[in-house]
Amino acid sequence: MEIISDMLAIVQSKNGTIKPTHLMYKANLSHSQMKLYLDELIARSLIKKDDIKTGTMITITSNGREFLFKYNQMREFEKTFGL
Amino acid sequence: MVKIVLTPEWFIGKDIMIEVFSFLVLIAFVILAYRYYKISNRRRIFYLGVGFGLIALAQLATILTKMVLYYDIGPSEQIGQAIITSNLASSVDFFYYTGFFFHRFLTLLGFYMIYRLPRDRKSIGDYMAVLYFIIISSLLSREIFYIFHLTALFILVLIVEKYAWIYKENNFFNTKILMVAFGLLALSQLIFVLSDVDILFAVANTVELISYSIFLALIIRIWKYGKKKKPYGDNIRYAGNSPK
Repeated sequence: MEIISDMLAIVQSKNGTIKPTHLMYKANLSHSQMKLYLDELIARSLIKKDDIKTGTMITITSNGREFLFKYNQMREFEKTFGL
Repeated sequence: MVKIVLTPEWFIGKDIMIEVFSFLVLIAFVILAYRYYKISNRRRIFYLGVGFGLIALAQLATILTKMVLYYDIGPSEQIGQAIITSNLASSVDFFYYTGFFFHRFLTLLGFYMIYRLPRDRKSIGDYMAVLYFIIISSLLSREIFYIFHLTALFILVLIVEKYAWIYKENNFFNTKILMVAFGLLALSQLIFVLSDVDILFAVANTVELISYSIFLALIIRIWKYGKKKKPYGDNIRYAGNSPK
């Protein structure tokens, strides 16, 4: 859950679009981990892959933004109550 | 002769408004807790929501009971008037006792749940002992009203102490707000103990209103936080973010 939210936060911080390799480095994930989480995120419609001229780009979806919004709130809530 | 309602005549209606406001704030906490429980599936969040939910139900019980006491037409109005004007009644319908009993019982149970949450698990015997203590306090408060407020004060002081420890550890501003809100709620219970004097009853209610307003401000802060752009989230794996 934490890794997923971190990946979404990184994509969002790059105006919603990022190259997979950049995401992999910024999230500090191995290639196999990256593939696993990307598949999960795509399956949940939190991100989408777009093939463009320069290669593949990863874009956060509105579902992804919504999830990140709620997740950040949840973390804040948990931290507040020391849960 | 049994003391049921201590509301001074000039404060009637205003106390219900404060309780309705408190109820809405508590419901907002319940909704937030449920939403976050659905995301994380963490039981502690769920139980925190249940704790606030119990206090919300307690507020609802007192709102409904007071509404009947204050505004209902017919025999209940006469009973209500007798209680309101003299603060005393020799015989009162089962309804009023039940309503106020549930208010006391659910409030204490809710506070206790909030207090217990982030601690380690204890045996069922511990919970049963506290449940017994809460029931006895709720029942005795029918005769001696301040037992309820003293018990609530006791649990709230424990809650404040708990959040003071959490704040010491996380140094998080929201936890400080939470501590202040519960602290004011504790103060209101202390004033309620002395509420034989009319003005103190109003003061206690006002302090309670301030406390719930702070809770509302906290909800808004948490809500707004989701919109804040965190460059790399809480990601400690990112090279630019060092673990705290």
